[in-house]
Amino acid sequence: MASPAVPFDEPRPRRIGERILFVLLLLAIVAYPLVFPLPYYRDLGIKILLYALLAQAWNILAGYCGQISLGHAVFFGVGAYTSSVLQLSAGWSPWVGLAAGMLVAAVFSVLIGYPCFRLRGHYFAIATIAVGEIVHTLAINWEFIGGARGLTLPIQPDSLAAFQFYKSKYIYYYIILALAALCFLITWHLERSRLGYYLRGIREDPVAAQSVGIPITRYKLIAMALSAAFVAAGGSFYAQYLLYIDPDSVFPLALSIMICLLVVVGGVGTLWGPLVGAALMIPLSEFTRIQFGGTGSAVDLLIYGGLLTIVAVFQPAGLVGLFRRLRRE
Amino acid sequence: MRQATRMAAVLAILGLLMIAGGPAFAGQPKEVVIGVLYPMTGPSAQIGIDAVNMIKVALDIINNGANLNLPLAKSKGLPGLGGATIRVVAVDTQGKADVGQAEAERLITQEKAIALFGAYQSAVTTTASQVAERMGIPFMNADSSSPALTERGYKWFFRTSPHDVHFSQVMFEFMKDLEKKRNVQFKTVAILNEDTTFGTDSAKAQEDLAKQFGYTVAARIPFRSGTTSLDAEVGRLKSANADVFLPSLYTSDAILLTRTMRNLDYNPKLLIAQNAGYTDPKFVTEMGKEAEGAITRAPFSLDLAAKKPLIPAIDAMFKKLSGGRDMADVSARAFTAFMTLADAINRAESTDPAAIQKALQTTNIPPDQLVMPWTGVQFDAKGQNIGVRAILQQMQGGAYSTIYPFDLATKDVIYPVPAWSQRK
Amino acid sequence: MLQIPSAEVLIQGIMNGVLMGCLYALIAAGLSLIFGLMEIVNFAHGEFLMLGMYTAFWMYTLFGLDPLLSVPICAAALFLLGWLTHKGIIRRILGGPMLAQIFATFGLGIFLRAAAQFLWTPDFRQIAHPLVQGPVKLFGISIGLAQLVASGASLAAFAVLYWFITRTEAGAALEATAQDRQAAALMGINTERMFTLGWGISSACVGIAGAFLASFFYVFPYVGSLFALIAYVTVALGGFGSILGSLVAGIMIGVIEVMAGLLIAPAFKYVAVFLIYLIVVLIRPQGLFGKF
Repeated sequence: MASPAVPFDEPRPRRIGERILFVLLLLAIVAYPLVFPLPYYRDLGIKILLYALLAQAWNILAGYCGQISLGHAVFFGVGAYTSSVLQLSAGWSPWVGLAAGMLVAAVFSVLIGYPCFRLRGHYFAIATIAVGEIVHTLAINWEFIGGARGLTLPIQPDSLAAFQFYKSKYIYYYIILALAALCFLITWHLERSRLGYYLRGIREDPVAAQSVGIPITRYKLIAMALSAAFVAAGGSFYAQYLLYIDPDSVFPLALSIMICLLVVVGGVGTLWGPLVGAALMIPLSEFTRIQFGGTGSAVDLLIYGGLLTIVAVFQPAGLVGLFRRLRRE
Repeated sequence: MRQATRMAAVLAILGLLMIAGGPAFAGQPKEVVIGVLYPMTGPSAQIGIDAVNMIKVALDIINNGANLNLPLAKSKGLPGLGGATIRVVAVDTQGKADVGQAEAERLITQEKAIALFGAYQSAVTTTASQVAERMGIPFMNADSSSPALTERGYKWFFRTSPHDVHFSQVMFEFMKDLEKKRNVQFKTVAILNEDTTFGTDSAKAQEDLAKQFGYTVAARIPFRSGTTSLDAEVGRLKSANADVFLPSLYTSDAILLTRTMRNLDYNPKLLIAQNAGYTDPKFVTEMGKEAEGAITRAPFSLDLAAKKPLIPAIDAMFKKLSGGRDMADVSARAFTAFMTLADAINRAESTDPAAIQKALQTTNIPPDQLVMPWTGVQFDAKGQNIGVRAILQQMQGGAYSTIYPFDLATKDVIYPVPAWSQRK
Repeated sequence: MLQIPSAEVLIQGIMNGVLMGCLYALIAAGLSLIFGLMEIVNFAHGEFLMLGMYTAFWMYTLFGLDPLLSVPICAAALFLLGWLTHKGIIRRILGGPMLAQIFATFGLGIFLRAAAQFLWTPDFRQIAHPLVQGPVKLFGISIGLAQLVASGASLAAFAVLYWFITRTEAGAALEATAQDRQAAALMGINTERMFTLGWGISSACVGIAGAFLASFFYVFPYVGSLFALIAYVTVALGGFGSILGSLVAGIMIGVIEVMAGLLIAPAFKYVAVFLIYLIVVLIRPQGLFGKF
């Protein structure tokens, strides 16, 4: 951890034009499923918001607090499995399951975080990969939660109580929008709160932060629990949306990497970075896959990987950083 | 600033690409669209590519006609639909369940597919067929072997190929028959399975059947697929020293297993593999010598060509597209399922999904129109083909020969398999 | 749960673990070297290994050159790749944030994997008739000859690497740069050249490992990721930047993997490896031989 991730993201007074733009953007997000009635585009919108939520949750821990976790899929899986298992074996409502998943993930994250926060930089990152792989393997071999075969949730008539809205898919969209909005609001508040300053202090210089009396482990754990809870909410939502989960789709390392990749592209430690990253990368990966994937020549991943490297090399502060610079000039 | 401009330029070009590259629609009035889902990237990419190539062969036969003993080969296009042609939209699922679901939806609503076909990995087939079920679109599955798929009570799901229980059943019947034929006695079996749905389901079926047939399971060893070494696994198998060894694994692990068995001098007297890796053409051509004596279940065998003239003709067409790869298990199954689907659409004489569903339910394809050694294609109420028949093949002299059922056999069984130290 | 296999199987297991561990160690050594030099983890390291394996495969297929003989070619090809990677990518992100560094190399990894599939299809390939193959009896225990040769070569490569760093002038300059970039620059060492050299050597190591691995392991575009994960854990267990640490950790991981598989269950062999890694770094956060 040689240098800070990005410069401090101080709230700045905004110009009036930007405010109008911002309101228009919000309106566009809310109106999106009404403008695009085709299920595929609604599905795309849902995926963008889901990944924006996951990315923002990760951003709380990594972007603001500087702890780079490459194992966040663990919490996604914990959320997905908690609500599904509770529904299948105890008949709990998926909504209660979602809340329970957030709680379980938060507790679990503290149990992981407490020992692992002693590690720094790459040691911490690789330890989280190790935790992720351990949990993934255990899930595959745990028969109670379906083992490798995963869990299938029953198809039920559309209703709010059942958390199934197949015919009117836009309700899924507004649910995930609400979850993402909540996460963004908390992050927005975090940027301005004392907790946010502490977290950034820990990111910039943990030794200095400790010396001025900030209990760094406690604040790291708070960030971790918050982050894990929102990722778990995303996981529960995913399980309800797909009605089928298995360890390889909710616990893989590739998912953990995908989450942070979106933030890196969008802008680490910025409020809008996760949304920008998800709004750009998810459609891009869908587009390249649909255009080139059917040929089996991997052109889709060729473009994707190439682009990622280019962004990381030429725009390490992410796209939000790019916009900021353009605005300043 | 220079960097910023450069970055903006890259993004602008990318945006243009996305606009310019929108899907081009062919303007033919009379064509039927079938959506095909397969993994085309990731570790199972080759399988998806093979299947799609084989579908192209089937399309060629249906749309352009061919001199083959197949009803749809006689004319150009589908006669039942006034000569309409079939167009296939193939998509990459990346082997992911959520991509399979999204793509199934897109294929139906945007590409206007009237039927879906795919998707190899059981997990992907599960979510993709769920969409088809809800939207009332027929889903044809050629190659997912999880028994659970046809136990869901779906009305729109059809599977032409045998599943794990069929496949494993034949292994145990073979063991019993071999005991009688050679006057030997098997007592124990050892099961090795990779840990995805395929391996887990297969091992579960085998464990149940072993009990049913009165064998003791000396070891059941799941392992992480795509491991860097199988030393510990083979060590355990050596310790268990079972009479019959039953592995269920994919190509990469099958290659590694064969080499590790040789290096660690593990000599099971009988090895019966659950297809997958063992029937990959690559495994056959390159590991053929080393895997001498290995038996695998298969729904298809090239050496049945003598009895089925369709096989060499279609194999020749496939080879042109696949860069020399032979038709094998997965591709032959894809061909059979696709022809079955096309046959139903033709008989439905309509692109209405309900009519196709009805036609599928009354499917009755005779054995001489199949590249498979089955008794035909006929679906039961669950959508499972009841004409399936699995065969066993043994690697003899670097190639597979059918050895069971004995009436289809082209060669006699080699038993026991010679130990590594006795091989040349 | 605990199962005790026969003594023969146990000894065979330990021997195999050591052999595989030596190879893990050589793959990890390159990673460790770069980290020691510039605190960057190359997340495309597995793909470098994959390219080393493909180089050996194509040398064999096109020119009939056995992997044993194409080792120098693989090393040279990968040296060049490492050189280019530094010049084209790494040099530009040296002062950047850690995450940008991770994702620059990560993107490169995706790109190389896709490029391999694009050029050579995703088919599994292997060297059909390598010079060294089959089993060999060592003290009456059967093990793989190719693995034995590969581990011997790994140890030799380690010896050369160690000699290079501790006994040659270029090696001393490399070590000096690793310890203090600025001081080294003041002493007249061209640090930029040292970095390039470091990337070249690191990649050459993995190229050598790839050539030997290709003689007994299958080759396909995604093969690198199988080994990469183990390599990261090896480096972190041994301590980032410590070449000796990589050797010890590699062998440890090889043995733990087999022993956990034999004594507990093969499904959990990587769980055991990761758990022991976690336990070690929680006691010693800098790894076994790490300096900080």
